[in-house]
Amino acid sequence: MNYPSKFLEDAVMAFASLPGIGKKTALRLVLHLLQQDKDKVDEFMQAISKMRHQLKHCKKCHNISDQELCNICANPSRDPSLICVVENLRDLIQIENTGTYKGLYHVLGGIINPLEGIGPEQLNIQSLIQRSKEKEVKELIMAISPTIEGDTTIFYIARLAQRPELKISVLARGISFGGELEYADEITLSRSIKARRPYGQT
Amino acid sequence: MFLQRLKLIQFKNYLQKEFAFGRGFNCLSGSNGMGKTNVLEAICYLCLTKSCRGLQDRQLVLHGKDFFRLEGDFGKEDFSVKAEEKLEVVAKVIPGKRKEISLNGVPYTRLADHVGCIPLVFIAPEDHLLVMEGGEVRRRFLDLSLSQIDHTYLYELMKYNKLVKQRNYALKQFAEQKRFDATLIQGYNSQIAPLGDLIFHKRREFVEEFLPHFLYYHSLITGGKEEVSCVYRSSLEQAGMAELLREQLDRDRLLQRTSMGVHRDDLLFSLSRKPLRKFGSQGQIKSFVLALKLAQYRLLFEKKKVKPLLLLDDLFDKLDASRVLNLLQLLSKEPFGQIFITHTESEALRILFAESGIESPVHYCIEPGSVQKL
Ligand SMILES: [Zn+2]
Repeated sequence: MNYPSKFLEDAVMAFASLPGIGKKTALRLVLHLLQQDKDKVDEFMQAISKMRHQLKHCKKCHNISDQELCNICANPSRDPSLICVVENLRDLIQIENTGTYKGLYHVLGGIINPLEGIGPEQLNIQSLIQRSKEKEVKELIMAISPTIEGDTTIFYIARLAQRPELKISVLARGISFGGELEYADEITLSRSIKARRPYGQT
Repeated sequence: MFLQRLKLIQFKNYLQKEFAFGRGFNCLSGSNGMGKTNVLEAICYLCLTKSCRGLQDRQLVLHGKDFFRLEGDFGKEDFSVKAEEKLEVVAKVIPGKRKEISLNGVPYTRLADHVGCIPLVFIAPEDHLLVMEGGEVRRRFLDLSLSQIDHTYLYELMKYNKLVKQRNYALKQFAEQKRFDATLIQGYNSQIAPLGDLIFHKRREFVEEFLPHFLYYHSLITGGKEEVSCVYRSSLEQAGMAELLREQLDRDRLLQRTSMGVHRDDLLFSLSRKPLRKFGSQGQIKSFVLALKLAQYRLLFEKKKVKPLLLLDDLFDKLDASRVLNLLQLLSKEPFGQIFITHTESEALRILFAESGIESPVHYCIEPGSVQKL
């Protein structure tokens, strides 16, 4: 495609670098921004820039946060005896959206996959093991997709975290729980958290 | 099973071509390189979701095009009571981007679900590699047979292979970083062990049932003068997979790979108690692999209760003229069903069928720029 302006082209390329956005969609978005007030566009830019610069990771659960502790960890009405272990932020947000889970989280930042060069030490596993040793923690809920890499990750954490008073559970593989957490709808997800089963029992 | 109609679009050297086949023998004749084998390749793709000769999807597209499409209408001959049922299989492939296979209009979410739906046996000039090459080709023979018979086998095998690959990568990284994480290896072991045991069990049972059919066809082809055997060899004969992984750990760490397991299995072929590869003549090897393929057909037929398609690429490769006639007569009787044969000489094929007394086959003559039904 040929663009009448280099500035326009740069903006289109920037949008097109986002996942799921092709050049046509990018051009539509850019043309839309071109019609907006300059102030509005600046606000838009700042929102993105602030998000990137100001966001921190919660020092406890590695969720994104504006403070040292995220608003889930800092919320006194959340049940600290439950830790739901998730692969990434997307899964955390999805479980949060079900509105039924009242415990805390731990974001691993990926799953063990030596083929991709990801070993346990690249993930937030050590901090999880430390957290799981605290007396108030009674259960780890492994909300990790039951793939080869997911199962390996669950086994690894379960092995290191195990102690008699700690329950380790995995999500129930429900009827329409198609394998990947990403595709599970909220009702199914909420149901499979409630119907979770102890790890190691099939 | 039988294939009634086949349509190729932008596949190999075909821009667009439709074939109508008969339920018995179907002959494709023409000079080499004109596309006879490509028709067999297309049939194979519709049954097994991939090339039978290990070609990549991008090697299957007509030069200069970006996709190919295959359509096949298959008929089902149910041996109990049911009448024919039609199965329409369509493959739409944009190499490197999209690959969709659908059955009666419904696309598969997992391609492996289709394997075994239309069983197939492929006899090709390259079959002697089963004897000449390493264990991998013989494992592939076992796997291709089993994945068509046993619906879950292919998943178990794919999962096993992926886990072993992950374990090997982990071992490699440990060696590079001069450290070791026993928990991670235990995690892989605990997942690999039950799958390894299962695959071993299934392969052993397969070879047990396969052997009598193999001996039968071999003696039929050769007149029964040679003593042959086909033996399954696996490191799991000595111990269970869990034990092997545990015992071999030090060695595995040193080699940076998983040294024992079903991924190292093999079939031992012998002739008069000597290794076939070293002591078999070219003719003996050809008869041997032909018997392997016919036995594969027989066992698939018994297990699936439907007749597999039989593809025979280059009829005269395996046997001399006098034996070819015997083979055709054998294939014209039960349990064989629909058969596809390629050959360079269309006239020789015609004469052969006339001599055999077998009903004359559907015959396509494939020459530069033209495909003619005789
Ligand atoms: Zn937090």
